[in-house]
Amino acid sequence: MEDESHNNTLPNGFNTGSPESPFLKTSTTTTQHNKEQDRFLPIANVGRIMKKVIPPNGKISKDAKETVQECVSEFISFVTGEASDKCQREKRKTINGDDVIWAITTLGFEDYVEPLKTYLQKYKEIEGEKLSIPKQMRSEQRLQQHHNNYHDQNNQPFNGAYASSNLISQPPYVPTDQKFSLTFSPNSIQSQLRQQDQIDSVGHWYE
Amino acid sequence: MRQAGAYSGLLCGGVSGRTGPHSLPLARIKKIMKNSGEGVKMISGEAPIIFSKACDLFIEELTRRSWIMAIQGKRRTLHKEDLASAVIATDIFDFLITLVSNSDSHAVGGATNVMEVETIDYS
Repeated sequence: MEDESHNNTLPNGFNTGSPESPFLKTSTTTTQHNKEQDRFLPIANVGRIMKKVIPPNGKISKDAKETVQECVSEFISFVTGEASDKCQREKRKTINGDDVIWAITTLGFEDYVEPLKTYLQKYKEIEGEKLSIPKQMRSEQRLQQHHNNYHDQNNQPFNGAYASSNLISQPPYVPTDQKFSLTFSPNSIQSQLRQQDQIDSVGHWYE
Repeated sequence: MRQAGAYSGLLCGGVSGRTGPHSLPLARIKKIMKNSGEGVKMISGEAPIIFSKACDLFIEELTRRSWIMAIQGKRRTLHKEDLASAVIATDIFDFLITLVSNSDSHAVGGATNVMEVETIDYS
């Protein structure tokens, strides 16, 4: 399927709409945008972590970052599936932290267990000291579960959070553009894709 | 978090405002977990937190092993083929073989090249 081809992937990981269906471009792009957002972790975060472990003079190609994005999602699904099976065997409905650590051990990633436990312990300490951070995170998660990204947000802090989100995955845009994208969903998406097209210097829209 | 905090996060690049102390967004991790199968009912708040660190470690290990492949090929730019080679060479990454080999038909060629290099090294 052409839409799934890496050749049609813009720098930030979004797929372009199909050239064969120009009249459905907006809705197709919106759907793909949402699906792409949901399937992978942000490429900027992934790239930053990758850079930590290679020498300063090393470089990372875009296709390597995209491949790692896919591998990480597969890792999450792989471990979650194992943890979920364990919960079902034990007649429990909630996957908790211990289930994840058990699954990670079972699947051969024993070396991760000690760092994970240390991390969780430190997180709990931070949580005790700074109540605002977990509260903000919980609010963000709750909001994302109940609202489409492109609905108007009356609460300003959440707009800020979404703008930050867009900034991470779309570095070329300035903050004001992101605010507009929250309000004028169809046009701004097309506008963003066109800008990406120009920056990319490859005529994706005209393939 | 107050409004000023959100803007501060925005102006500083958004990392603090969006992921808190974690380097990866918890909401996205939770969404990927939900999509991993119908058997996944409810997810505790702790699980995505553990995953944010586990994914960090996973990315680091995968990148480090891939970088070794790039170096063996006398290159200093990491490519998709290096990732495929690292996955093929590492037991705990077996679950990724289908994914990396489907995404690029050169993966097999990459592996072959690595084997050739290793052969030369042994002779």
